[in-house]
Amino acid sequence: MSAATELIGVVDDDQSVRRGLRRLLKSAGYATETFASAEDYLARELFQGPICLVLDVRMPGLNGLGLQKELEARGGCEQIIFITGHGDVPTATRAMKGGAVDFLLKPFDSDELVDAVKKALLHCKEQLRKRGERRRARSLIDKLTPREFEVLRFVIMGLLNKQIASELKTAEKTIKVHRGRVMQKLGLSSVPDLVRLTQIAGISPADARYGTKGQYPA
Amino acid sequence: MKTAATPIGLAGLESNSTAELKRAQTFEWRIGGIALVVALAYYLGAKIGFALTLQPHPISVLWPPNSILLAALLLTPVRFWWLILLAAFPAHLAAQVQSNVPPAMILCWFISNSCEALIGAGCVWYLVDHPVRFDRLRNVGVFLVFAALLGPFLSCFLDAGFVALNRWGQDSYWQVWRVRFSSNVLASITLVPFIVTWSGDGLAWLKRIRRARFLEGTFLVLGLVSVQTFAFYGSGPSPDSALLYLPLPFLIWAAVRFGSRGVSAAICVVTFLAIWSAGHGYGPFTARSAEEDALSIQMFLIVMSVPLLLLAGVIEERRRDATMLRERDARINLASESAELAFWSINFETKKTWMSEKGRAIFNIPPDEPLSRELFLSRVHPEDRSAVDEAIDRARDSSKTFEIEYRLLRPDGETRWVIARGRYGHNEQGGMRDLIGVAIDVTAQARANLELRLQREEMARLSRVSAMGELTASLAHELNQPLTAIASNAAAGRRMLMQGPPNSAEFEELLADVSTDAHRAGEIIHGIHRFVRKSEGTRRVVNLNEIVREVLRLLHSDFLGRETAVETDLLAGLPSIHADPVHLQQVLMNLLINSMEAMQATPPQKRRIVICTRMEAESLVLISVRDHGGGLPKENLEKIFDGFYSTKPNGMGMGLTIVRSIVEAHGGTLGAENSEGGARFSIRLPVSRPPESREVA
Repeated sequence: MSAATELIGVVDDDQSVRRGLRRLLKSAGYATETFASAEDYLARELFQGPICLVLDVRMPGLNGLGLQKELEARGGCEQIIFITGHGDVPTATRAMKGGAVDFLLKPFDSDELVDAVKKALLHCKEQLRKRGERRRARSLIDKLTPREFEVLRFVIMGLLNKQIASELKTAEKTIKVHRGRVMQKLGLSSVPDLVRLTQIAGISPADARYGTKGQYPA
Repeated sequence: MKTAATPIGLAGLESNSTAELKRAQTFEWRIGGIALVVALAYYLGAKIGFALTLQPHPISVLWPPNSILLAALLLTPVRFWWLILLAAFPAHLAAQVQSNVPPAMILCWFISNSCEALIGAGCVWYLVDHPVRFDRLRNVGVFLVFAALLGPFLSCFLDAGFVALNRWGQDSYWQVWRVRFSSNVLASITLVPFIVTWSGDGLAWLKRIRRARFLEGTFLVLGLVSVQTFAFYGSGPSPDSALLYLPLPFLIWAAVRFGSRGVSAAICVVTFLAIWSAGHGYGPFTARSAEEDALSIQMFLIVMSVPLLLLAGVIEERRRDATMLRERDARINLASESAELAFWSINFETKKTWMSEKGRAIFNIPPDEPLSRELFLSRVHPEDRSAVDEAIDRARDSSKTFEIEYRLLRPDGETRWVIARGRYGHNEQGGMRDLIGVAIDVTAQARANLELRLQREEMARLSRVSAMGELTASLAHELNQPLTAIASNAAAGRRMLMQGPPNSAEFEELLADVSTDAHRAGEIIHGIHRFVRKSEGTRRVVNLNEIVREVLRLLHSDFLGRETAVETDLLAGLPSIHADPVHLQQVLMNLLINSMEAMQATPPQKRRIVICTRMEAESLVLISVRDHGGGLPKENLEKIFDGFYSTKPNGMGMGLTIVRSIVEAHGGTLGAENSEGGARFSIRLPVSRPPESREVA
């Protein structure tokens, strides 16, 4: 039982469906919260752990696809499984393009749903882990001075100290000092480690032709 | 030519009579004028009559006053006749007093003269259209028989009677009668046509004619006068009687070229010259006694004038008919061009055919090609040909007008819609004389209508199909909710059991939920019945055959698209039923769509649906839909009507459930069986009361 560390939300306007799904998910070992409408879910306080939403497409008020859009705009990490009584191809396409984990037609096989929930939680955990790594990597990189950051980007391009010095119109010795400080601040000992860290943080190598001013690419 | 004064005067008279119709202010003046002119003419006529006597015979060869009176009556509306007679009386008195006739005789003669004019004018007015003209064979005939012969014939009895009564002269009754008769007939024939034709619009006509015609007329008059002068004066006292016919060519010339006006004037000229010359001892009519000579002249002139007047009438009539025909042709051509009309006629007797220019353009027939039924039919669209052929045959047999709308397929490949009407004409023996017809090109309207109809049908079809789709979609959504809950609960129960002995309270709650949801699903199914019954208010008397036709129209494009042939075997006179037509359409549509889908694996040439309506027992109508799609699975024959059972991979299994619900709501039954390599669905519905409402076959 991993209660409280993860959230399974069932959003459906039909009470029977909500009760049935909660019982099913509970029997599969998931603590489940139910919501009668999309608005009810949005009103809940933000949950920090992995979230899987089992979402009805057709609902009064904000419908399933609308909620999906809303959540993306909010930047949450909810993974969505759509369920519908009357699925058509355009709706399914929009749902999947919007990043849904699965699109199930009612009545569906219970194992299918449980598998989808499992998959969704894994996705969500993975995403949360990645987000954490990136956050950590960026917090490290944020400690660098602008000059050190510039040097860093030339280093991960694979340039030699001499080349970097000529690019930045300074002495090779100066570059060497900057580089040492970068490695020290980030707690790294090799260039491959440095490259991996910058990748996690989402920093691209400098392009000499376009300058080295930007911090993170879009 | 003293009488030249009369036509001018009477011309004024006639224009007076029309002016009277306009209720002019100067009415009394005109009446006075008419009276004066008639009086003057009558008096002059009497003087001329006295002058035209063959001495020593005292009776005039030509007695104009009676004819002047007759002509005046012919030119005047009946209600003014009293005035004409009143005006003539003093003139009569003045003329007769001079010749020492006793007063009683004068009065008697006036009475008999008036009788003659009244008889003649009355008959002509009664039998001939007004104003009186001599330009028709019938008019001339009526005039000759009634005014020129009957009038004098009857009035001369009176005349001779008066003479005998007054013991005037020495002649016997019959002698007086004969002399008067021939004199009056001659005067009527020669003078009346002249006065009547020239007084109307004679002078206006003279002014209107072209110079060449004027010259021709002048030559004619000169020729006539000189030939006449030669015939009567140039040769000795007893010349060859053949000379009498010398003027004839000129008279015919006048009749042919100048009509009744010309011939009446020429006859006057000949008459006066003949009598004048005889009166002065010249020409052929001087050989015997004055009495005999007078009779000869009269006979000669009468016999010559009658055919000439008739000839002129015939010629004018034909000329006018030809003009009218030309004008009508021009009108028809104008109408046919402006209305896209094709006029045509085929005359079976003369083998002549005609078609308006526009018609040839519409039917794409070259201008010189003679028409025939075969040629005409060859232009008709092959699909419509037999219908058109039959319509023409029917028209011939029933001798009624036929009207038919059909398509033309022209050699250039274009299809045109036309509406045609035609009629057979019969000759006097009752045989076929001709076939005339008119066709109108309605392609533009027909295309617009067709498009509109197709659009409407497509819309109707979509709305029917979507109504059905909407129903099943909302049903599916409704039903899926409890089913999802049931499935989820069941799965949860299984998992609980697998994880060891479950909490009994929890498990009981689960089972209660399953039960509730199952009942809810059942309720929804019943809801279909309610949905169907909701429409009971919209039921009316309908005929199943009509519904079949309607649905076939709605699904027409589906049949084409799926290459499926549909045969109908509809019982004529099928009794009506009481039902909601839209629901029955849905039932039939559903069955037909099922059939089409069942035949997807059937080769296209064998895809055939047979729809059949029948009477069963006294009070049941049966409609069956049979396909050739391999039939229903034998073991599941009963299951097919259950909800959610489907033999189709994508089927929801609701179609037949709904069909059965609708049929049962109408008090009917739905059955299914396999038949000749396909499935057959049969619906039996009760006949509506009262049973009199039957379809007119």
